[in-house]
Amino acid sequence: MQMENIALQAKNISKFFYQPEPFKVLKDISFEVQSGEFLTLIGKSGSGKSTLLYVLSTMDTDYEGQMMINGVQLTGKTQNELAAFRNKNIGFVFQFHYLLTEFSALENVMLPALKLGQYSKAEIEEKAYRHLSLLDLKEQALKPASKLSGGQQQRVAIARALINDPSVIMGDEPTGNLDSKNTKVVFDIFKQLARENNQTIIAVTHDDDFAKNSDRVIELSDGNLIRN
Amino acid sequence: MSSKINNHISFVHLTSNVKQTIVATLSVTFGISMYVFMNSFMTGVNDSQSRLAFSTLAHVRIYNDGPKDRTNLLQSTAGPNQLVNLRNAKVIQYTDGIKDTRAIISLLNQQKENAGVTSQVNINVFFRGNAIKINGILSGVEVDTENKLFNTSGYITQGNWNDLKFRTDAVIIGSGLAKNLSLKVNDNLNILTGDGITKNYKIIGIFETSIASVDKTKAYLNIASARQLLSKNQDYVTDIQMNIADYNHAKEVAAKVAPAIPYKVESWEMANGQLEAADSLREIIAKAVSLTILLVAGFGIYNIMNMTVNEKIREIAILKAMGFSGNDVTQIFLTQALVIGCIGGMVGMLLGYAVATAVNHVPFKIAGLQTLPMAYNSIDYILAFVFGIITTFIAGYLPARKASKIDPVTIIRG
Repeated sequence: MQMENIALQAKNISKFFYQPEPFKVLKDISFEVQSGEFLTLIGKSGSGKSTLLYVLSTMDTDYEGQMMINGVQLTGKTQNELAAFRNKNIGFVFQFHYLLTEFSALENVMLPALKLGQYSKAEIEEKAYRHLSLLDLKEQALKPASKLSGGQQQRVAIARALINDPSVIMGDEPTGNLDSKNTKVVFDIFKQLARENNQTIIAVTHDDDFAKNSDRVIELSDGNLIRN
Repeated sequence: MSSKINNHISFVHLTSNVKQTIVATLSVTFGISMYVFMNSFMTGVNDSQSRLAFSTLAHVRIYNDGPKDRTNLLQSTAGPNQLVNLRNAKVIQYTDGIKDTRAIISLLNQQKENAGVTSQVNINVFFRGNAIKINGILSGVEVDTENKLFNTSGYITQGNWNDLKFRTDAVIIGSGLAKNLSLKVNDNLNILTGDGITKNYKIIGIFETSIASVDKTKAYLNIASARQLLSKNQDYVTDIQMNIADYNHAKEVAAKVAPAIPYKVESWEMANGQLEAADSLREIIAKAVSLTILLVAGFGIYNIMNMTVNEKIREIAILKAMGFSGNDVTQIFLTQALVIGCIGGMVGMLLGYAVATAVNHVPFKIAGLQTLPMAYNSIDYILAFVFGIITTFIAGYLPARKASKIDPVTIIRG
């Protein structure tokens, strides 16, 4: 297997929680993800799957071991370097939508692209509209995020994660708040992104159907990898 | 591009919760206007106190202090084993007043700190009215320079100060003195000097300094008439009074000119220790109050800004998750802090000025004052504004920097 095809590489990742007492959440986890792969992380609650995802997303720097995305060593980089890297290469969907409530749905989707500054505002707006229509949100585009329903917010968050065409898209139960119809829409979008754009998807999920239909399932139990 | 989007986020934050923005701005406004008002008021009070104190007191006074102790002149020539005993020693009369005044005055005028010099012939006299005699001071003055130093014409309640210049037979007397002698303008006042000379003068004016001891015992006349009364020559002077630009430097100026002048050179602090103490104490109080306001207002501003940032802590985490750097986060909140600081500061200066003006119009008719005193120094306003900006800046920066340094996940997990 060629190095260029490896999107993400985790080597001996360990992590401790110190509150209320020292506890090893992740125990020496190592695995690789190919680019264009649609991967799901499953496990019981408390198994450490969300924690692992946050470490992989570079938003948590307090871990042991090494992590690379697209051949770039991310362990040991500064917060600002990681922020710039996330902006360009990682799209993240939180478990509970986490939109900026003071901004409209459209602005929420546009913000990461405006930060990246690669395209003009008009181009970004057009692209944001395209993503929103794909997720059946075109009518909600100019509403403040706080006025949207939970499912709508979740889909806005997904559109936001896609806006910069990141090479890796991560989701912490990205379809947790969605009905079956929208879950299928999101699943199909993810699948399409992986197939056609060679974008890598890593999603934590409780939804067995969702996991079953993905390319590969990794299961965690008590901080250990039990299925790879 | 990145800074444009940061400014846009700052703007949305400021305008989406207008109520909180106004509260934060008001806390700055309140602190700054309080600082401006209290400082203006205190400076005004201090200035009026100094004006009052220096209404009859010059910054530096030169006078003939009289001879040294001459009760036992021979003791110094006696040997260690000799005892001197003088009985009924008769000391020859010493010359009073200041000789060679022209040289001294020209020396004083050469000092760069000089803000006016005047000569006086002060005579201890008895003022004799219809029924009683009152011991007091008849002050022969140079009409123009006296007014320049002490603003005497400002205390004239009846008559005209400048008339003294042309009348050799006229006096202007204190209001208390006039009352005690039962005399009024155009009445005659009889004066008896220590040498037993009496002379009648016409009262052409009344003054009131609000310092009772002065108003009850003092009268002014032309310096030439005073010399005439004492049969002295045209150079005779008992006191030379000098004002300097900043009265706080009186001691240094006195020390500088003293070696060249063979008379007693006294700064106002030496003559009036209590005034100096009062002056220093007022200044210390002013600084203490000013510092207290800075601290209280500073903490108020800090609290509000801190709250504003902490309320946005989740937004900060989301921004960071999307790829905004710690510097972006700091920039977003500093922009907000600066906008709040600038608007609050500007409104604060205006409000401070308005309150100061209002208080300045409150009647206060004691000791020559008409209304509560107030100073309008631009430096107070500038300092208040700068302080407001700096405090808001720090108050916005500290929590923003803290938030910019932690992992976004730490915030999201709670």
